[in-house]
Amino acid sequence: MSQYLLEVKNLCKKFPIKGGFFGREIGAVNAVNNISFKIKKGETLGLVGESGCGKSTLGRAILRLHEPTSGQIFFDGKDITHLPDEEMRKMRRRMQIIFQDPYASLNPRMTVGDILSEPMDIHQLHTEKSARQKRLLKLMEQVQLPADALLKYPHEFSGGQRQRICIARALAVEPEFIVCDEPVSALDVSVQAQVVNLLMDLQKELGLTYLFIAHDLKIVEYISNRVAVMYLGNMVEVAESHELYGGAKHPYTKALFSAIPHADPSSKKERIILEGDLPSPMNPPTGCHFHPRCWNCKSECKTSMPPMTQITPTHEFKCFNPIK
Amino acid sequence: MEEKILEVKDLVVQFNTERGSIKAVNGVNFDVYKGKSIGIVGESGSGKSVSALAIMGLIPNPPGQVIGGDIVYRGDSLLKYSSLQMRKIRGNKIAMIFQEPMTSLNPVYTIGNQIEEVVALHRPELNSKERTNRAIEMLKLVGIPSPEKRVDEYPHQLSGGMRQRVMIAIALACEPDILIADEPTTALDVTIQAQILELMKRLQKEMGMGIILITHDLGVVAETCDHVSVMYCGQIVESADVQTLFKSPKHPYTRGLLGSIPSFDSTASTKKERLQTIEGMVPSLFNLPKGCNFQDRCQHATEACKGVKGDPVLKDLGQQHFVACFNPVQA
Repeated sequence: MSQYLLEVKNLCKKFPIKGGFFGREIGAVNAVNNISFKIKKGETLGLVGESGCGKSTLGRAILRLHEPTSGQIFFDGKDITHLPDEEMRKMRRRMQIIFQDPYASLNPRMTVGDILSEPMDIHQLHTEKSARQKRLLKLMEQVQLPADALLKYPHEFSGGQRQRICIARALAVEPEFIVCDEPVSALDVSVQAQVVNLLMDLQKELGLTYLFIAHDLKIVEYISNRVAVMYLGNMVEVAESHELYGGAKHPYTKALFSAIPHADPSSKKERIILEGDLPSPMNPPTGCHFHPRCWNCKSECKTSMPPMTQITPTHEFKCFNPIK
Repeated sequence: MEEKILEVKDLVVQFNTERGSIKAVNGVNFDVYKGKSIGIVGESGSGKSVSALAIMGLIPNPPGQVIGGDIVYRGDSLLKYSSLQMRKIRGNKIAMIFQEPMTSLNPVYTIGNQIEEVVALHRPELNSKERTNRAIEMLKLVGIPSPEKRVDEYPHQLSGGMRQRVMIAIALACEPDILIADEPTTALDVTIQAQILELMKRLQKEMGMGIILITHDLGVVAETCDHVSVMYCGQIVESADVQTLFKSPKHPYTRGLLGSIPSFDSTASTKKERLQTIEGMVPSLFNLPKGCNFQDRCQHATEACKGVKGDPVLKDLGQQHFVACFNPVQA
């Protein structure tokens, strides 16, 4: 039994770009580019980055919702990268996902009870009628929704309530690991807080492990033990939450944190404003992908990808000229 | 003292539906001054966007209509304007930028064309070449590189941040007095958001316009606004200058909103405090409680809040800090 519930080694996911008369493959988007990391049991790893950095693709690739192009995924010590369908399905009971859009991820034609029952049917859990009913009621209680919600349809609920239904669905099969793909982005601020608190309570109660993907740095920093920062398909820095905020080493991380507006009008801080736009992932810059926007850029940054440097057991980054 | 250019007085906007009529905006007051920014903060359904659309005369009728109050621009009541007169104001004196740059630009026209359209409408004295030059000048102003080339590009060829800059270019092409920005950066990444907010601040300084910034992001308000009004269920529940609001919020809803935001803690390695939440949900406008709209979610609610004394009204607690609450937080 490994202490790491999830281990990812050199994971790559390429999407082909087809073009020309015959629809030949003329290029590829390296959505996930040689990424390695580990998550301990009971830990929350936050994953941040801006649009197009590959964080959602990474989250789905880990669950093999996108088949990886290369690399390996280990779940509880077992290599699941090439597991055949039947065995993978059994694995999926232990690894679930919550999606961003609570309006799009629930089948509008199914009642909440049916939505929660579906995964249990697939995995043949609590098949006996009264056991099933008991389980459904327990799930509603865990996500703080009333029991009569089971008979209602998704459109009868608000965004925050729908997200709770999505959480209940993920919990239905008693998983160990949940990929939370922007679970609160579509919600109002006060509702976000409710859902974040719920996720943290459930983690404590059920010993869950999370990969928490989001672009809201404040929420990610709050809920995560460690945070990984992605840029254009690469993981540029990983550290414990507090290490990252105070002592980011990668210039992009520093710029990202600097860009967050603070709810404090009296704090006059030096804001780093990055020049230009995010380059297209179809045509990334050579060498370190961040070099055109980096104020610490040196000549080697333009030609080679920096290797991973480790400064504490929990803090790693990829940069030739890090922040001092 | 800065010049007051817009006054919204006791504005009421009603929507008539099959299920009944509701007041999306119910007695809202705020002022806009030259060179200053006012933030209107609220969550979904608070009435902030409808307030902005009312100023622009863009409330769809049916089902909506302004049934009370007034909107006074430089001494003239906009509600008394004919549609021809309103058209001279829109995009010219009062301009608006919207939340989704993706859907707010016409996909089949070049960005140059879309800027020129506004100029053609309000500056008929300019010829075609002059209009194009103005478009290029605006693109340069909003920081789009190689504007002479990009002026002939289509929206889909630009990123989200660039599209929002184009929206700003269109809005500012005729040098308006007032810019209404409705969630201008919500759909954008945080580093791009920082760029756009810097841009707006710089342009405000250069052009001296008043800005109404509508958002749910309190961080954005703290960094860009001079004055803040917090809306809930169509009404303003608290309003003050930005320093005062963030330092000593008095309305329980405002405090709840501020408490919901996690703050960075660069030192702790121990488990963090739970986020403060506001219990429950925003009531449906079809089913508002008697008395204070916020009472069912409020930890400070008393008997008075249930309606015996009527609805809470905005009271000046001193130094223009207004709160609509029977039991405001003292601290």
